[in-house]
Amino acid sequence: MATKQAIVSARAAALLALSIALPAYAQQSDDSRSSETVVGVPDFSGTWERYTPPRNSNAPPAGGTPGAGLGPTFGGSPPPLKPEFAAAYEADVRSRQEAERRGEPIPSVNAQCLPEGMPGMMIALFPMEVLQTRGQITIVQEAFSQIRRIYIGEDAPAIADAEPTFFGHSGARWEGDTLVVETVGIKESVRYRNAPHSANVRIHERMRMLDANRFENQITVVDPEYFTGPWSWTWTYQRKPNYKIYEYVCEDNREFVDPETGAQRMRFRDDAAESKE
Amino acid sequence: MTRGGEVTKSMNAVGAACLVVVMTLSAARSASAHHSFAMFDNENQIKLEGTVTHFQWTNPHVYIELDAMNVYSDDKTVKGWTIECANPGILNRIGWKFNMVSPGDKVTIIVAPLRSGEPGALLKQITLPDGRVFANGGPAGPALMQ
Repeated sequence: MATKQAIVSARAAALLALSIALPAYAQQSDDSRSSETVVGVPDFSGTWERYTPPRNSNAPPAGGTPGAGLGPTFGGSPPPLKPEFAAAYEADVRSRQEAERRGEPIPSVNAQCLPEGMPGMMIALFPMEVLQTRGQITIVQEAFSQIRRIYIGEDAPAIADAEPTFFGHSGARWEGDTLVVETVGIKESVRYRNAPHSANVRIHERMRMLDANRFENQITVVDPEYFTGPWSWTWTYQRKPNYKIYEYVCEDNREFVDPETGAQRMRFRDDAAESKE
Repeated sequence: MTRGGEVTKSMNAVGAACLVVVMTLSAARSASAHHSFAMFDNENQIKLEGTVTHFQWTNPHVYIELDAMNVYSDDKTVKGWTIECANPGILNRIGWKFNMVSPGDKVTIIVAPLRSGEPGALLKQITLPDGRVFANGGPAGPALMQ
């Protein structure tokens, strides 16, 4: 009898445990993680790298001014800063250029092993992987293992509610064959081309397939506090077929900032220093 | 020259041809890297010959340490050098492998030394014991000497 009771209470306990667990199973279907094929809209899934136009002696150099070690090429013109911010920005650009010439570069965020954040990660420093489901696009950038998530069918949050992050919070909708993405909530410390921005910065992107193997991303950065108008450029990506993204963990960063000069230097391993003697 | 030497020579030629391809490809892209390379003296590259003491396949950079002498210098002192390479992703994409270099390997390298005078440098080109020649990827730029 006692054994029967024990079995009954064990069953009751099991049922109770199930009933607690059940609501989790009874959730609505999750479009963002649906395994259903993307239907009726362009599919950006795949592995991509920045598009390098065929060399043509009549064409201008691809992508604009080369960056000081910050990426394959920067996009567009310099930031349209309001006059009250422009002088400080230009002075900063000059001091970085002079430091480069002296051979004492001012460390970039990359040299400190920090991710580029938005919009810098879309420069595609290294190859990137796009994973698309019905409700979400996830972009993985090999360099620094950067990841951003774009929620399709959602609005970007109100700026007041958007916690500042490296990659921001992205909502998107389809306009015909174009994915229109809006991103807010970028940390003020995250700088593209070292340009300052406020907490109110918004990044608009228009992504569309140009053909089966290329897609373009028209980027517009708007910041009424810092900019006189929109700051726009376009990056184009080409497929990198069968490429598998490598792991990237910043395991041993030997670049360090010299506390006296502020310049970037190279640290030696302790054992290497002994071998130097 | 022995037959082995001829094989090595022809492999060198293949390596050099590969290098030219890599350099041409890299010329099509502008600089991209984890950081600025301005702390290295690209204009005054040197050639080192020596023995690998440590090989580290990590991000953000791969490192080769070796006890080596400067081939074209009158000073034939062997010093411990630390050589910065690109990262595993870039190097994999141009044909390197994580276990391609080992302590004890006799290698010849061309590097851009640190401007500070410390025994550190940026790799431009490495010749492995089997004669294969590898560059350091587009961002680091090509060897400007042989």
